[in-house]
Amino acid sequence: MSLAGRGYVGQVAWVDLSEGSVRAEPLNPLHASMVLGGKGLGALILYNSTRPGLDPLSPENPLIISTGPLTGTLAPSSCRFTIVTKSPHTGLFLDSNCGGFFGVELKKAGFDVLVVTGRAEALSTLIVEDGKVWVEETPDLKGMTTMDAEKALKKRLGEEFRVLTIGPAGEELTPIAGVFTDQRCAGRGGAGAVMGSKNLKAIAVRGSKPISVYDPEGFKKACWRARRRIRMHEVTARSLPTYGTVNILETVNETGALPTRNFKTGVFEEAWKLSGYEWRRSEWVKDKACFGCPIACSKLAPVDGKILDGPDYETVWAFGPQCGVSDRKAILYANWLCDAYGVDTISTGVIVGYVMELYERGVLKADDLDGVEAKWGSGEALTRLVEKICKGEGVGRELRLGVRRLSVKYGLAEAALHVKGLEMPGYEPRAAKGMGLGYATSDRGACHLRAYTADKELLGYGGAVDPISTRGKARLVVDYQNEKALIDSTGICFFATFAFSFRELGDMLSRATGLPIEETEALRLIGERVYNLTRLFDVREGVTRKDDDLPGRLLNEPMPEGPAKGSKVELEEMLDEYYSIRGWSSDGVPERETIERLNLDKLVEDLPTR
Amino acid sequence: MGVGKRVRLSRILDPSDGRGLVVAADHGLMLGPIKGVIDLESTLRKVIEGGPDAILVSPGQARRLRHLFAGKGAPAMLVRVDWTNAFRDKTYTLPARGIEFCRVANVKDAVKLGASGVVTYLFVGFDGEDEHASMVEEFAEECRLWDMPLIVEPLPMGPKVTKANYVDMVKKAVRKAVELGADLLKAPYTGDPYSFSEVVKDASGVPVLVLGGYRAKSLRDSLEVISEILEAGASGIVFGRNVVQHPNPSEAVRLMRAIIHEGKTVADIVKSRLKPPLRLRVNPGSCTGCLICLSACSFAHEGVFQPAKARLRIDYDEEKHSYRPYVCTLCGSCVKACPTGALTIDPETGGLRLTAELCDGCGACVEACPVKVVKLSDGKPLICDLCGGLPECVDWCPTGAIYLEGVGQG
Repeated sequence: MSLAGRGYVGQVAWVDLSEGSVRAEPLNPLHASMVLGGKGLGALILYNSTRPGLDPLSPENPLIISTGPLTGTLAPSSCRFTIVTKSPHTGLFLDSNCGGFFGVELKKAGFDVLVVTGRAEALSTLIVEDGKVWVEETPDLKGMTTMDAEKALKKRLGEEFRVLTIGPAGEELTPIAGVFTDQRCAGRGGAGAVMGSKNLKAIAVRGSKPISVYDPEGFKKACWRARRRIRMHEVTARSLPTYGTVNILETVNETGALPTRNFKTGVFEEAWKLSGYEWRRSEWVKDKACFGCPIACSKLAPVDGKILDGPDYETVWAFGPQCGVSDRKAILYANWLCDAYGVDTISTGVIVGYVMELYERGVLKADDLDGVEAKWGSGEALTRLVEKICKGEGVGRELRLGVRRLSVKYGLAEAALHVKGLEMPGYEPRAAKGMGLGYATSDRGACHLRAYTADKELLGYGGAVDPISTRGKARLVVDYQNEKALIDSTGICFFATFAFSFRELGDMLSRATGLPIEETEALRLIGERVYNLTRLFDVREGVTRKDDDLPGRLLNEPMPEGPAKGSKVELEEMLDEYYSIRGWSSDGVPERETIERLNLDKLVEDLPTR
Repeated sequence: MGVGKRVRLSRILDPSDGRGLVVAADHGLMLGPIKGVIDLESTLRKVIEGGPDAILVSPGQARRLRHLFAGKGAPAMLVRVDWTNAFRDKTYTLPARGIEFCRVANVKDAVKLGASGVVTYLFVGFDGEDEHASMVEEFAEECRLWDMPLIVEPLPMGPKVTKANYVDMVKKAVRKAVELGADLLKAPYTGDPYSFSEVVKDASGVPVLVLGGYRAKSLRDSLEVISEILEAGASGIVFGRNVVQHPNPSEAVRLMRAIIHEGKTVADIVKSRLKPPLRLRVNPGSCTGCLICLSACSFAHEGVFQPAKARLRIDYDEEKHSYRPYVCTLCGSCVKACPTGALTIDPETGGLRLTAELCDGCGACVEACPVKVVKLSDGKPLICDLCGGLPECVDWCPTGAIYLEGVGQG
């Protein structure tokens, strides 16, 4: 059975940059039916093509770009692709999900998945055009910003090409470097450094082939119903289209969950200046959509005389409250720097907040920071430090290594806000316990998008849930992690799914693929399988309970003010419950029974022996 | 069922077809003074012009606006008898840490108001389920005493509800409401007619009305939902914001009536508003560059997703970050340029028509097209035929950047 023409285009391209060889293989239909595509398929390929202990920056570490069966179709927001690799920042599993147009173009060019290994001799670009794949040396792109490199390649190859590229930071193997396309970013965890380690500056893709589905009429109806749900849901019809993701910032602040000044508190007194309303009123000039997206949450703003993709909620938070900054222009500029030089805004903002705390405590002086007075709230300090991190200048060379490594040298480990080495995003775990458990047990390190319990805990969608209580949170986190793993394996955007249930997603997926996955239980099972698969990868690398941890500040320092005043994260009790629901040992290792129930023993070759 | 209950129910569900059109206007109690209910009286006067079977109001408004429910042909009154914080504007519910609810009226009050039914929530999926169930049970008991129809609104709500279990939770909530003695249900739509017909079955004979929720962008969305839920076996609707926030509430109710009571289809209504010859128009400022139009076009004509074969195109100006759709303007240049007469204008739709046997693939039409939307594929031109009268690019465009001349949005 082939899945070609059934949502999938049916081909996986394997590129070895060292040998300059390209091999196209049919998509494994068993694998696709078990884990769909995107994150799931990428994770499976990564697991089976690597050995534990592999150096993430070695040529053998594959950079996997994986689309889903819904990518490039009429399903709402069907723009997503996932980059899967072993992270140089955490040393663990990494998947980074991205929108724009690149994934769709890859599929139209004839490939569901692209797997890149090896290392090119000179800085190169991988080109994919309608079934043909080749590598060209492009040393002239060295040091170019992501925008310039994208422009240069489009000029050379044709405007219709879609380009995925790294900035100078990626070339310099910065562990917080991301991968960029259409000013969108697969930012977290250092995929940009993996690309840089392969001497691969960019991947340019163009395709004109069709994407077909199993049951065209039924699929179209299902997509239309999903679109209608998006038009009839407050978040997808009004909040996101009007204000972008930053629409939630004021609400998060009012719940006392807006991490402020390196998570010292959860309340930012100037939050109103960063509300969605203020951004819309003062900065944004246009809405921009990814492929197939009726929501258009990207907001454009002028920076430096150019109109550019503005910051999302996480970026506004990371450069704003996290550093005590309310200066929107400084945030816009810092965001532009990160996009241009190619680093992750969340990690960068958390690093700057950590440095500001060291400065305020007198551990670091302006002299240690190339003369920057790193005071809380200083927009100038923010942009100067971000510039140093982005360009790797002066102290920036050290700062860009991330807070885990910095805390080894400067101490204050309890205030180095990371899990497993990945810097923490913008929801206070003390004010939303589910988010805390979600960060601790996330497969790629601290991430809000593995279990977005904030929607219930803080934003009140689907009824208020006590954010401070731990009751029921383990179950909620497990369910949400499984759901998100499924969504990230389909090719549609998480935001679109705010509007509909799994039944409607199953309707689209089953009619696209012809696979018997219309029932919600089948989908839930796929999500659970994928999440256990990524856990197995991490366990194979040595992850156990001790790594499912949170920084000391969140566990031991009570929240000083706001609705969550006095709260600390009771992580251990939630972890016990979480592991038991997951079917993992009390040390966090999936039990044999769980692995067999999910048929993972049939999908992966070397199960961790613990 | 007692006589009083039977009589009152017949005012909600029309006995001639068993269906009901209820307009909800109790938002002030749960959401505050939102658009459409601020001047509730003038909104309801417009609603009543459209001919709803019943209107749902809070106890206070029932007293204030009692005159709207008096007289022959006036709509039946339904009274909301409970309150909850579950829907209130997120900004001001805080720091409420859970779902709260309470009763705000007795069934006896409703009898005195002349109501034909009382409405209460029943949430499933949160920690207070036991108390909620006993509140609903008390209402059920009072309703039996006073022969008042009990309309229960079963909703999945709270920490135990997820995307994966949502449909299942709706079924559980609906069944629980039935077991507690509901005479009529006000249930959420599960999004597709297949699962909703299961919900109707699970209600085991208790009629199911469907709630509307957040206001859709266009009335057509509401009408489509209504037609799907009727197909799935529902008995009608309780729509609020989709009526009271509509710019023309009486028109909204009238069209909903046409579908619920008069057997009209959405296609009938849409077609009656389109007057050929159709003409595509663009509003570049609204275009977000999502390219959904290209997918929809290629799918409508080729059955696959292949923007390269779409009969329109989107231009992108990188410097200005702006998009501009180019669609067939029916200028006729290709028809004039065609040397074999293969291209003509369809007299019915006004769109282009290709007679393939006459076409020799010379490409003169491609050359002639001033907006470059005609292209050759396998030796034949791809031309815009306006999808036979209902252009898909217009239907799927999320922002109205492509629209039909003379047809308003919504």
